[in-house]
Amino acid sequence: MDQLINKRINEVLKGNQEAFEEIVTLFQHRLYHVCYRMLSNRQEAEDIAQEAFVRAYINIHTFDQKRKFSTWLFRIATNLCIDRIRKKKPDYYLDAEVPGTEGLTMYSQIASDVELPEDEVEKMETQERIQYEIGRLSDKYRSVIILRYIEELPLQEISDILELPLGTVKTRVHRGRAALRKQMGNL
Amino acid sequence: MNTCPEQIVHYMHAYLDGDISRDDERVLNEHLKQCTSCQELMDDLIGAVQFIEKAEHIQAPSGFVDGVMARLPKEKSQAGIQR
Repeated sequence: MDQLINKRINEVLKGNQEAFEEIVTLFQHRLYHVCYRMLSNRQEAEDIAQEAFVRAYINIHTFDQKRKFSTWLFRIATNLCIDRIRKKKPDYYLDAEVPGTEGLTMYSQIASDVELPEDEVEKMETQERIQYEIGRLSDKYRSVIILRYIEELPLQEISDILELPLGTVKTRVHRGRAALRKQMGNL
Repeated sequence: MNTCPEQIVHYMHAYLDGDISRDDERVLNEHLKQCTSCQELMDDLIGAVQFIEKAEHIQAPSGFVDGVMARLPKEKSQAGIQR
């Protein structure tokens, strides 16, 4: 897989833009999914994931081909997501259905600073609830919990993606788990 | 739980990360056998993680790749008309 990707990267470096399409096709779902989990919003996830690919394209000459491409790509995307979260204001409509999600309402897209009454939370479907709980985590913990438990990446890889020492990643995973447990007291 | 050694919570997380030593794991297990509040905490942590792991995989919308390609800066004309 890495060999194929490096081959395509070299073609891109030679000026063949079409070769980049294959790279996007290979990683689109994983990258979009991470962005969606980070941002709790499909439109924003699409925008940020696409932006991440654009930045990867522009900076492709800085990618060290001895390293794992997905790590580099995830780094670009998580940085963009964190920037977006920090700028984000809660300005959406709670009852609006998220396009293409069959009944998934904006309740699952609420920023971490909004708490719902417990009986509202209890009415949520599992998938909605999962995203709600992830969204309540601070961005520090959210990124590690997503990479660890949704992307199922090893701690070392998360440390490479977030450019944090392994010890810091472990601490954040621990605190993230503790925060989830506290949030979900009524599970 | 306040009387429990602080180390126990660290062992729980080390266990969940799959990087606990055999000795520490033995200490943890011994403790959990006699301490219901720590056992409860352990169960809750495992439950929280398992809940998050139920997240369904969501695919990028159709047209995603085309969208990226459309957003790329125009190709530098290296191959073609350069003289």
